[in-house]
Order: sequence, then C-alpha cells, then structure tokens
Amino acid sequence: MLTKPTYKVQICCGTMCHIMGGAELHLLHDRLPDSLKGKVDVEGLTCMGKCNTGKNEHPCALVNGEVIENASIQKIITKLLTTHTNDLL
Amino acid sequence: MTYYNNAVITKRELLVRLIQLLDNNELLDRIDRIPVEMRPRTNSPIRCCVHKDRAVMKYKIMALLGFNIADEEDELTPLKEYAKDALKGYTQNGNFLTVVDEACSSCVQVNYTVSNLCQGCEGRPCQVNCPKDAIMVINGKANIDHQKCVNCGICQKACPFHAIAYLPVPCEESCPVKAIRKNADGIEEIDFEKCIHCGKCMTACPFGAISEKSQILNLYYNIKHQNEKTVAMVAPAILSQFKASSSQILSSIKAIGFDHVIEVAEGANLTTKNETQELLERIEEGAPFMTTSCCPSYAEFTDKHAPELKPFISHTPSPMAYTAALAKERFPDHNVVFIGPCLAKRREAFKHQDIDYVITTEELGALLAALKIDIGQSEDSNNIAKDIMPESRGYAASGGVTTAIKSVLSSDHNISTQLIDGIDKKSIRLLKSFAKKAPASAFIEVMACDGGCINGPVNVSPLKVSQTMLKKAIQEVEQVCC
Repeated sequence: MLTKPTYKVQICCGTMCHIMGGAELHLLHDRLPDSLKGKVDVEGLTCMGKCNTGKNEHPCALVNGEVIENASIQKIITKLLTTHTNDLL
Repeated sequence: MTYYNNAVITKRELLVRLIQLLDNNELLDRIDRIPVEMRPRTNSPIRCCVHKDRAVMKYKIMALLGFNIADEEDELTPLKEYAKDALKGYTQNGNFLTVVDEACSSCVQVNYTVSNLCQGCEGRPCQVNCPKDAIMVINGKANIDHQKCVNCGICQKACPFHAIAYLPVPCEESCPVKAIRKNADGIEEIDFEKCIHCGKCMTACPFGAISEKSQILNLYYNIKHQNEKTVAMVAPAILSQFKASSSQILSSIKAIGFDHVIEVAEGANLTTKNETQELLERIEEGAPFMTTSCCPSYAEFTDKHAPELKPFISHTPSPMAYTAALAKERFPDHNVVFIGPCLAKRREAFKHQDIDYVITTEELGALLAALKIDIGQSEDSNNIAKDIMPESRGYAASGGVTTAIKSVLSSDHNISTQLIDGIDKKSIRLLKSFAKKAPASAFIEVMACDGGCINGPVNVSPLKVSQTMLKKAIQEVEQVCC
C-alpha cells in the first residue's frame, strides 16, 4: 500500500524569497527524517507579497497553510513534527 | 557543497537595496545610510562592535560599486562619491576580484592549535616528535610557538587525545592555483599574475571578505536613465536557477528593460558544429588530443599556469563569443550584456570587444527582486528561438559539451572522451601530465566548477535543484524544436 502525502509544504518561489535562501528549501525532501519520508508533498508558490512588508521575513514557506517566516529546512521539519494534525504524535 | 550562508545573503541584500535606491532615484541621497540601516544598534554585533559591522558594510558596497578596496585614498570619502563614479561606469583593469580588508578576519597564520582537550600527558608525543621544537608545555598544557611552527601536522597525528586541531584558511585552501596569500598584516591578497577568476575563494570565505567588482548599477542606470539600447544574452545555466519555465525566465529578463533577449544556447549551436569539425581535423592531422575552450577559467588557467597545454586547446570561440557576434549582427546599435553564472566570464568579456557588460545570476535575481518582477507570474509566452538544439542548453552541466559534440558526430566516428569535472589541485596535476604523456581519450572536456556552469560561484540555487531545473529547460526546448 502506498502512503499518501499527509502534509503540504509550499515554498515561496517569488524572486526575493528565492534569492534570499528560498532556493535551498527545495532540498527539503532529501533532509526529511525517516518518520516523515513519503508523507510530505512539496510544491512551489508564486510571491505571497511578504517581501513588501519591509520586515525581512524572507524566505517564506507554508506548512499546511500556516506561514513560516525566515524559513529554513530545519524550521519546516520542526513545524511538521509538532503540528497538531500530526499522526505521529 | 552548498554556498548558502549569511554572508551570501548579506551580499544579495546589499545588491537589492542598491538597485531599489537607484530605481527610486534615491541612490546618492541614501547610499550612505545602508550600513546603518542594515546594521542597527544591537547587543549582539557580528564582529567586535556595530561600528566594525558598519565599516564592513561600507567596504562591501564599495566593492559592489566596482572599486578596488586597496585604491581607497581617503577613508572619509562617503559612498555617495563612489556611487557617482560607479554610475558613469568604472575603468576596468581586467581584475574582477577584490579583498574587502575590513571584512577579512585574518585567519590563523599557523594552522595547528592545541585545544583544551590537552591532558598534559607524560608521554608528550607532540613535543618529542615535533621536528622544529615548536611545542612547549606551559601549566601542564602543550603550546605551539608560532615563530617556529612550519605547519607539518606531525603533532596532530601524534596526539592520542585528538587535542590538536587543524584550522584551515578557507580562501587559501579553496584556491587551486595558490593565488591568494596573506600580506605582512595578515590580510589576504590576491596575486592577479596567478588568479584564474574561478571564484572559489569568494564562495569559501565565511566572512564574505572577497568580493567581485560588479557593473550592475552602471548597467541599470544606463538602461533606465540613459535609455541605452541593450541586448541580453542569457546563459543556459540561468534557466536552471529559478523555479519557473525557461520562457518565463526569458520574459522576466526582458521586463527589466532589455530591448532584446537572446539565449547563449544559440551560440552554443555554432560552438558544437565548429568544435566537432575542428576535433575531426585535428585527429586527422595526428594530434593526440584536444580539450574544450569554452570555460574561461580553464582558458585563463592554461594562459597563466600551463602554457604547455595551449597547443591542445580548441580554437573554436565560446558560445558567449558566438552569441555576441549574432547579437551585434542582428542589433548593430545595441550594447551587449552577458547574463551568466560565472565570474571568469567577466574576464573573457573584458578581452572581447563585442561584450559591453557582464552580470551574474545573483545580480539578475537582485534586479528582479528589487523591481518586484515575479518570475512565476510573468508571461509564459512562446519566446524560445526555434533552432536551439537541446544539447546547446545542456552546455551548462558538466559533460554537456561532450554530449553535444557526440550528438553531431556520425556513428562511424568512435572518439573516446574524458571529463575534468572541476579544477582543483588534483585535476591540475592530471591536466599538466597530459602535455607530457597524451591521455587515452581524444576529447577532453574541462569545467572549472564541479558540476559545470550550473554550479558556478555566483549562482542562487543549490546544485541538485539546478540539475533538475536544467533537465526541465532541456525538455522544454525539445518540445519546441521537435
């Protein structure tokens, strides 16, 4: 039986996020811990407008729709592991 | 290997801020505020204090404006004065790197250091095996005398507690041709008699102390405020750097204000055709082997370090050179801008009269971000030239030139090939040996960056992401042409 992806990670591919570290986030799949392998769906998003706030929030990502500012791979993984809908808890 | 670190992000943020100010006509009024805005008063400065951090910012900006830090005459000259000159365009001297001495942390002179793991043992193998008598035990702990130490590393191997650590100097260690060394003050200096502009020191330094001299402000000023007519030549590697289709990337580049956009892959078509011809002719004449010539860092390496290889280098011009000729032919009164992932291309373009500006992937990204051009939302128009061969886009990855040449060779030619993937100390020894004893392969592809241009020093995406995106870009052109 195939495990269906349970979590959706959306990475902002707007130019500002992309050059300020967003490009690295696309390596997420390779860095996932075993418990999350095959359960995470990664996709790209066009600019969410976060770069206009002047607050240096880039790069941004969404985990199950929730915004992660100054995202890093580790931050996303932590979020995935602690999210309420997590069936691993 | 990954390039991602905060020093890289600082450089990109500086680029974005500079372009935004220029775009809003505020550059001269506000440029001197950038160091203060980016390094506000804080309890946790990066270096010793906020003033040092700001001074580092100032000199990084100066380098991005195209100046040699060493040429500073008066420390009180504000950035505004430099910016004025930068907009006019700086006089290039053919060297495109500069050490931001304020940022250089003057890493260790001696590479070995005794850590607090030292147990002060009775055996003291570090001390008794040191050939220079450089180790003294003070208060029950080994100490290395920097005047005597010659960096042989025997003490480190001898210590059973692993208490002696090796501390590298990242820029020196990454340089394949020993072109960067400390001066008397411990600050790094680049020897341009040796430098091949591979950019490895620049990406290796975690203080961001080695900067390239950029033309970006001069170019954007001329496009926006002087209405200069320009043609952008887009290297195939650029198409691997952003998460969008290649036609979206090309139309975003046009949206910056370039009058025309040409893919360098068009020139690569010609390189493939003529280089294959040249290879066959050379083999006919009995030449033992031929190497590629399109990597400018490799070309500079043979000029400066291995003239014995020069008879074996292809004379076929690079895709950039062919594309520049195409650009000048199609748009005679336009200035030509090369957009690529490469530092050494600045050097190649400097020697080439048809190319007026070179900007990098990072600078392109900063331009698009500053002007709020979102690639993912730009027009996915049908703007890909019909005659581009898929293999021509493939030049951007190691092995791409070989694949392209094989694709046009007829099957009765059985030519063996070899790839030198990245110029480092080991591959330099191998390359030099070819001049003495011909290699087993007749065609050698040499790429200064391991992975090829998609792993260039001024790119924005990690290699693995770039590889996937380049494959997509190649498939897109396959669909257009077939």
